[in-house]
Amino acid sequence: MNDHAPSTGLKILAAAMFVFLLAPVLVVVPLSFSGDAFLSFPPSSWSTRWYGRILAEPKIVAAFWTSLTLAATTMVLCLAIGLPAAYAIVRLRIPGAAFLTSLFTAPLLLPSIVLALAILIVFARLGFIGSFRGVLAGHLVVTLPYAVRVLATSIAGLPIACEEAATTLGASPLAVFRRITLPLMLPGIAATAALCFLVSFDEVVLSLFLTGPRLSTLPVEMFHYVETRTDPLIAALSVILVVITLAIVLLVDRTAGLARTFAR
Amino acid sequence: MARAGTAPSQDKAFLVLHRLRKAYDDTLAVDDLTLEIAKGELVAFLGPSGCGKTTSLRMLAGLTPASAGRIVVEGRDLTHVPPYQRDMGMVFQSYALFPHMNVARNVAFGLEMRKVPRGEIAQRVVEAIALVRLTGREQRRPSELSGGQQQRVALARALVIRPSILLFDEPLSNLDAKLRDEMRTEIREIQQRLGITSIFVTHDQVEALTMCDRIAVMHQGRLEQLGTPEDLYERPATAFVASFVGRTNRLKGIARGDTVETGGLSLRTCGTHQGDVVVMMRPHRIVLGEAGCVSADGRAVNRMTGCVIRTVYAGDVVQSDVRVADSIIAVEQSNRGSGELPAVGATVTLSFLARDTLVYPAAP
Repeated sequence: MNDHAPSTGLKILAAAMFVFLLAPVLVVVPLSFSGDAFLSFPPSSWSTRWYGRILAEPKIVAAFWTSLTLAATTMVLCLAIGLPAAYAIVRLRIPGAAFLTSLFTAPLLLPSIVLALAILIVFARLGFIGSFRGVLAGHLVVTLPYAVRVLATSIAGLPIACEEAATTLGASPLAVFRRITLPLMLPGIAATAALCFLVSFDEVVLSLFLTGPRLSTLPVEMFHYVETRTDPLIAALSVILVVITLAIVLLVDRTAGLARTFAR
Repeated sequence: MARAGTAPSQDKAFLVLHRLRKAYDDTLAVDDLTLEIAKGELVAFLGPSGCGKTTSLRMLAGLTPASAGRIVVEGRDLTHVPPYQRDMGMVFQSYALFPHMNVARNVAFGLEMRKVPRGEIAQRVVEAIALVRLTGREQRRPSELSGGQQQRVALARALVIRPSILLFDEPLSNLDAKLRDEMRTEIREIQQRLGITSIFVTHDQVEALTMCDRIAVMHQGRLEQLGTPEDLYERPATAFVASFVGRTNRLKGIARGDTVETGGLSLRTCGTHQGDVVVMMRPHRIVLGEAGCVSADGRAVNRMTGCVIRTVYAGDVVQSDVRVADSIIAVEQSNRGSGELPAVGATVTLSFLARDTLVYPAAP
């Protein structure tokens, strides 16, 4: 694949697609530096004050920390649940492995609005609405399918002979996992962690149903904010989110190799 | 418990496989494999793919659990010992080097698992890498090495733990022909120098014949014959061994005493037989030409005339197919550079000694 230089036509097409996909995101950047009191493009004056104003919105700041904690917890739990699940499905070939795979990936296929409504009905009875564990449980439902999928692919691609070689060299099953399996799976684990974090961090639909006055996530707060306010603060916030996302993707790329982790 | 019912020559046998069996859902991959191997021997498990040779090796290593039977090394029953406590080194067909470790770390792995002191590890790793002639490449990653070098790292990694038995699973089949020859010599030399008991799984008869002290020929999960390369070639125990090791002519016939009637021919054979049989003879034991082969006893020579239907010039040898009565007989002559090729359509005389025939009961 690397031997062939892409043709000029393909390059132009790719460039057009990039502009199409990224232009809306890029418009946000100048907007965030607007000196106006309203969102309008192009801005009539420039300022960085909207970035400072974010900190003056306690609801937004609180929601930001909630989202960060939520995404980090979701990520850790996804790995803690997804890794053994994927291992059992791929390696141990437990009875019902195919069923388990479908069960784990089913939430991906359901319209999230339907899923959100169903979870709302169940959770309302349990008193989970507006609580951290309630939103966390909801987020796990939508992030676990990604975790199991990516980790299962990663495990399936491992050379079993390497683990067998380690075994014959005297490594106990635990030592094989720690010294061979885990290091070889690192790209898959990094990809899973990043994916789960990002999916949880900008989840809107489920969160809209599951959050309440006591607890809100950043995307939900942003949604509410634009419903009532029209100043460029939201653009500044968007730029910060883009930067965070980009930082995570770059981190994965540097540590594990992006093409290797996602494009399998 | 290792001693009960073990074969008598246990004091001599270093490794004993006793009625080893592997059953999958509806097939027997290995069926009642029983054999003994002496200390320092290099034994090949030879057979076509699916004959159970790799499964047997994996049972030995403990990577595949045995369905029945016992594995005994130096009087110790290892059948239910987990693979990481068996003390066997294994060299894999795919090399199975750890891609995230450099050469030195790969080789050191087994010693680290054995909690060998750090100073000793460093010294033994240096020795092992020198043994396989890779000194200077300690810091390379496996992906930076050629196939042959990777296989030598795998060998060093298995040797450095000083295993009781070294297991090779088709280690040369991913190498090109020239490198394969070199590695063959190198592995044999190291194995003999260290006097390490080894089992070498291969489907390549040349590999088995040239490298190994003894060869176990396997077919459909069963041991067909265990013997020296010469035993196998000169005195094959079964029709399968005769046809798998070396080339053979194969004729069906009916035996009466020392004569077999086959396709309009009457052949003198070695020994006496009765009923439906298969007669085999090696193409290069058949002499082409008027002079033919001589024997003190004239009756012990088979002599016949036929028509050449195909001739292949293969460099060192010339192979011809000759139609004799209703049969086609392959003949191989060494190329001495003097004679001309037998012309297609020419009438030629063939002769071979009765003692060069192999006769087996026909398969039912």
